[in-house]
Amino acid sequence: MLSLWLGAYDQGLAYAGLALGTYLTLRVLNFPDLTVDGSFALGGGTAAMLISQGTPVPLALGLAILFGCLAGLVTGLIHTRLGVNDLFAGILTTTGLYSITLRLMGRSNIPLPETPAGIQALPDLGLGLDGRWAVGLTLAMLGLILLISLLMATDVGLALRALGDNPTMARANGINQRRGLTVGIAAANGLVALAGALVALYQGFADVTMGIGSLILGLGMVIIGESVLRPRSVPWALLAVALGAILFRTMIAIALQLGLEPVDLKLATALLLLVALAFGRLRIPGLSDHGRLEQ
Amino acid sequence: MNPMAPGLSAPGLSVEDLSWGHTLPGSGWRQLFRSFSLTCPRGQFLVLIGSNGSGKSTLLNLVAGTLPAASGRIHLGGRPLHRLRDHQRARWIGRVMQNPLEGTCPGLTVAENLRLAERRHRPAFLAGGALLGALGGLHPDGADRRRYRELLGDLGLPLADRLDEPVGQLSGGQRQTLSLVMATLGSPDLLLLDEHTAALDPRAEATVIELTNRLIRQLGTTALMVTHSLEQALGHGDRLVMLHDGRPIGDWSAAEREALDPPSLRAMYGAATVKEAPCTVHDGSPAP
Repeated sequence: MLSLWLGAYDQGLAYAGLALGTYLTLRVLNFPDLTVDGSFALGGGTAAMLISQGTPVPLALGLAILFGCLAGLVTGLIHTRLGVNDLFAGILTTTGLYSITLRLMGRSNIPLPETPAGIQALPDLGLGLDGRWAVGLTLAMLGLILLISLLMATDVGLALRALGDNPTMARANGINQRRGLTVGIAAANGLVALAGALVALYQGFADVTMGIGSLILGLGMVIIGESVLRPRSVPWALLAVALGAILFRTMIAIALQLGLEPVDLKLATALLLLVALAFGRLRIPGLSDHGRLEQ
Repeated sequence: MNPMAPGLSAPGLSVEDLSWGHTLPGSGWRQLFRSFSLTCPRGQFLVLIGSNGSGKSTLLNLVAGTLPAASGRIHLGGRPLHRLRDHQRARWIGRVMQNPLEGTCPGLTVAENLRLAERRHRPAFLAGGALLGALGGLHPDGADRRRYRELLGDLGLPLADRLDEPVGQLSGGQRQTLSLVMATLGSPDLLLLDEHTAALDPRAEATVIELTNRLIRQLGTTALMVTHSLEQALGHGDRLVMLHDGRPIGDWSAAEREALDPPSLRAMYGAATVKEAPCTVHDGSPAP
C-alpha cells in the first residue's frame, strides 16, 4: 500500500510542471493554451531521444525545456502577431508538434530502462527506488517553485500578472502586451515540457501520444490544489498547484485500486472537469461561457 | 475665442488633420473625424464636453493610441505619438478610465498597482534588452512601500494603510482615486481623464474632482478631461471645448467661460445632445 502512495506522490511531482504551466497560462495570463498537449509530449520525446543517445540527463532536461519554450513562443507569435484566436493558435501548434515530436523521436515510443545516475545517488529513506525519486523530485519542485515565486515578484512577473488581470490597464502602464503574452506562454510551455521529460524518465519510456489530454490533467490539478489550499498569494498558489498534482495522481491511484480500468481514466477526468465547469466552480477564459448564455 | 491661457505657449499636445471612422451596426460607415485639429499648450487643463457620440472619448483613445487613427499626426511636446503604439505612448501619458474597474488591476495589491504605474516611465519596460534589467530586485520592496505610504499620506488618502490589500476589495471611489494617483505618478506630460467621475456617487465624485484639480495644479501637467457634467465643465480647467459629431462647435478660455451665460451654454449643449423633446407648459398640455 505504501508503494501505491509513494508512486502517486512521485508521479504527482513529475506532473507538477504541467500543473504549474497550466496555472501560469490560465490563471496568471488568462490565456487558455492548448499547446500543452503538444509541448508535454515534445518534452518527453526530446528527453528520451537525447538520453537514449547518451546525452547527460541534466542537458537533456534543459533542451526539453528549451524546445517547450520554443513551442510556446510559436503559439504566442501566432496569437499576438498574426491575430489568430487563442484556442486556435494552441491547436495549430499542437497539431504541428505531433509531427515534429515524431520526427525527433524517430519512432513512436522510446524506452528508458535505466534510472538516472543523479536519482540513484540520492538517499532512499529506506523506501527503495521510489524513495530516491521522492527526494529528487521534491527538491527539484521546491527549487522550481522558489524560482518561479522570485521571478513573479520582479517587475517582469508583476507585468505578466497585470496583463492577465487587466490588459487595458497593463498597456496603459507601458506593458507590451504582445511581448508579455509571448514570454509568458513560452515560459509556461517550458515548464510543461520539463514535466513531460520527468514523466518519461520516471515511467521509463516516452510515447508520442503521451501529451493527449494534458490540458485537462493540468486543469484538474490546478482546481484540486486551489480548492484545498485556497491560496491568496503567488507562492502559495504555486505550492497549491503542486499539491494539486500530487492529490490528482493519488486520486487516480485510488480509482485504479478500486477497479477503474486504465482505459477509462481520461473519461473519468473529463467528467470531473465537466462537473466543475457546469457548476461554476471553475472560471476559465474561453472555456467557461456563462456570460454569453445569460444574454 | 482665445484658447491660449496667459503664459501658456510651450508645445504641449498637437493633433493635426486627424481622420477616423467606424462601422455602425446595421447602418454602414460613419466618418467621425475629418481633418480634425486641436492644439493644447503645455500645462493647459482642457475640458472637453459634448453629446454621446460626439467623439470625446474617441479622441482620447486616438491620442492614447488604443484606437489607431486612419490618418493625421499627434505630437506631444514635439514627439510624434502617432508613430508609437499605445504601450509606448504610456511613457508620457497618464490615463484615468471612466469605469473604476478598468483603471486598476483588481487582483494585485495597492502597492503592486502603484509599482506598475511607477515603472511606466522607464523606457522599454519588458522590452528587448531591458528584460533582464527589469528582473533585478523584488518589488514592491520596503523602500517602495515607504514611498507609497508617504505619497498617499501627503495627499491625505486613507489608502496609505491599505497597501497590501487587493485593489478588488476597494470601493469604486477608492479605486478611482488610486487610478488617478497612478496616472499622475512620475509627472506625465499628458493626463487623459475620460469621464472619470461619471460612475461615482456625489461624495466620491467631489473627492476625486478635488484631487484631480490639486494634482494637475501641483504637477503643471497638460490635461484633457472629458465630462458630461456642465457643472464640471463650467467650474474646472483653463479652457472648454464643446464637440459635436467630431467637430469643435465651441472653444472658450477660462475668462471667456466666466462670461458665458450658463443657460445659453446649456441650451447649446442640449441642442447638440438630442433633438429637443416637446416642451410642456405648466398645465401639462404639450406646447404647440
